[in-house]
Amino acid sequence: MVHRVFTPLPCGGAGGGSFLLILILSLASLTSCNNQENETSKVVLNEALSLNKGNFQDDYGVHNAWIEVFNKSYGTVDIAGYKLAVYNGIGDTVFYNVPKGDVLTKIKPRQHALFWADGEPNRGTFHTTCTLDTARVNWVGLYDNGGKLIDQIEVPVLEADHSYARINDANPEWVVKGGDEASSYVTPSTNNMTIEKNEKQEKFALHDASGIGMAITAMLVVFSGLIILYVSFRLLGLGMQSKKSTETSKTETMTENQPVAKAEGKEGEVYAAIAMALHEEMNNVHDQESGVLTITRRTSAWNAKHLMLRK
Amino acid sequence: MGEFINFLTNNLADFWTYTGFANATTGHLIMILVGLFFIYLAVAKEFEPMLLIPIGFGILIGNIPFNTEAGLNVGIYEEGSVLNILYQGVTSGWYPPLIFLGIGAMTDFSALISNPKLLLVGAAAQFGIFGAYMIAMAIGFEPSQAGAIAIIGGADGPTAIFLSSKLAPNLMGAIAVSAYSYMALVPVIQPPIMRLLTTKKERLMRMPTPRKVSHTEKVIFPIVGLLLTCFLVPSGLPLLGMLFFGNLLKESGVTRRLAETARGPLIDTITILLGVTVGASTQASEFLTIDSILIFGLGALSFVIATTSGVLFVKLFNLILPKHKRINPLIGNAGVSAVPDSARISQTVGLEYDPTNYLLMHAMGPNVAGVIGSAVAAGILLGFLM
Repeated sequence: MVHRVFTPLPCGGAGGGSFLLILILSLASLTSCNNQENETSKVVLNEALSLNKGNFQDDYGVHNAWIEVFNKSYGTVDIAGYKLAVYNGIGDTVFYNVPKGDVLTKIKPRQHALFWADGEPNRGTFHTTCTLDTARVNWVGLYDNGGKLIDQIEVPVLEADHSYARINDANPEWVVKGGDEASSYVTPSTNNMTIEKNEKQEKFALHDASGIGMAITAMLVVFSGLIILYVSFRLLGLGMQSKKSTETSKTETMTENQPVAKAEGKEGEVYAAIAMALHEEMNNVHDQESGVLTITRRTSAWNAKHLMLRK
Repeated sequence: MGEFINFLTNNLADFWTYTGFANATTGHLIMILVGLFFIYLAVAKEFEPMLLIPIGFGILIGNIPFNTEAGLNVGIYEEGSVLNILYQGVTSGWYPPLIFLGIGAMTDFSALISNPKLLLVGAAAQFGIFGAYMIAMAIGFEPSQAGAIAIIGGADGPTAIFLSSKLAPNLMGAIAVSAYSYMALVPVIQPPIMRLLTTKKERLMRMPTPRKVSHTEKVIFPIVGLLLTCFLVPSGLPLLGMLFFGNLLKESGVTRRLAETARGPLIDTITILLGVTVGASTQASEFLTIDSILIFGLGALSFVIATTSGVLFVKLFNLILPKHKRINPLIGNAGVSAVPDSARISQTVGLEYDPTNYLLMHAMGPNVAGVIGSAVAAGILLGFLM
């Protein structure tokens, strides 16, 4: 069941001005209104329960409606300054600003935060100004600290102690939960689906107990990777060699007109002379010194023994 | 007076309960002997001293018996202790990529670039990993444990630590010690297999001199290498990314200081920390188990399989290669990525049969290809089993 969204907030609007401005505003409003869920947002709405009779109690021991958000990223996200909004078709949209300065607003990677929709913000950071109408569809929105709508959901009218939740944390599909099956438990502040096993490993243990499948697959991947590298560098090498041979042939063409090259039969002597000249040159450059200091002692009036004070 | 003496006696008795003598078990003594043996191998036989000295001494550190219930906060497994803090580089897997950065900065890939078909030899040797995986599965290890153990066959200590920290943290000490032990024992394990699988004629085979590689090719190699391998196996990114980054620092020619730091002080520092903490993690109570013995056995097998598959692959490959481009099968063992030890073995064994046949340069090709191959294999195992 994929949720449908209605728009309780004024989205965009063209109140006069130039056509261009109208167009830009319309596009902007379309973008924001159609952005059902921002794929790049790290925090999403994850579960909501509107009629709490025997479900999770708050820290005051009261059963209240709640809204769960989930940090789907692998880094901590501070939701201080974020806004929760609720609209149920009556009156204005109610906003709740998540207060700043509370360390608890930092949600750890892949963790949840539970907000109480009890209309009692004075009871603590996670008690909001919002309430969920048990007899109506409730629109719930989540805005980031820049005021951008990052997620929204319509919570349908629910039976007591039933929640409207993503089938799994951050999964795009929403379902009503509240049955007796393990997959249907209401799960405030915990994973929407409890994973008791590593599916990948189970799959390998079940279908590939001997490990041959893994060996074949993995060796294929290793070979593919290194064959791709081989082909790339083979081509690169061929390219470089052909470039080099072109340059060499150019040099040869140029040197054909030089008198040195015309001295047929004397190439050896010519090369020896060049090598000798290079050797001389290289030795004179002194790129690397031996690092040994040699001090030759010379006798002068300054160090003459007979001028020393010591006997 | 009697009461005071009684007080002193109680104090001394209390103190005695804290000493290593009072808490020593047979396990501690066995592990201390293992540590001493590692140090002996390093000092007397010069088997991988850079690794075996820190690991051997780490084993001594990790196996000093103490009263674990006294809350001394000195053990490597006690959260917040100094050793535990240093050990987090291993458990959270950030030492191995830094080691790879240094390896990249000290590795010359010229042999591979000039003769890229040697990459395939490096790939073939990775069968050691998956052969060991199959055996581990047959013995009854879980897939994730089998994967972590099998990576020993990659002959790459940092890769083994990286993968086992993710897939089977409880086996990491045994896997790391096993991987480094067999890397040190490469000169003992590989030559008999190489002799067994090759004929005298094959051992005398000469390979053409590799062409000179241009600076441009050397600069392009780490960039293309990173993009191709990591697009294929993104889970190998921490290792492959750092390996190729280190190599670019070396080959770019404009970051000499950074390259020197990566291949000098940085890799030395991390090697010390990695070695000593991995050694210390072999606390007798955690280490002396049947699983550890099995892991050691599987480690040895994986090295044998890797060497065998490398040598046999070269022999098979030669069947389709033109005569002047054939590869000496003695460099097949170098696909086992113990850099540069396995390449050195190729050279040593080759020289035994022809003192003028220098194989080191050729063997460095599959050797460094093995580093890439084992990192890719680790990425695959991580992707499949994590």
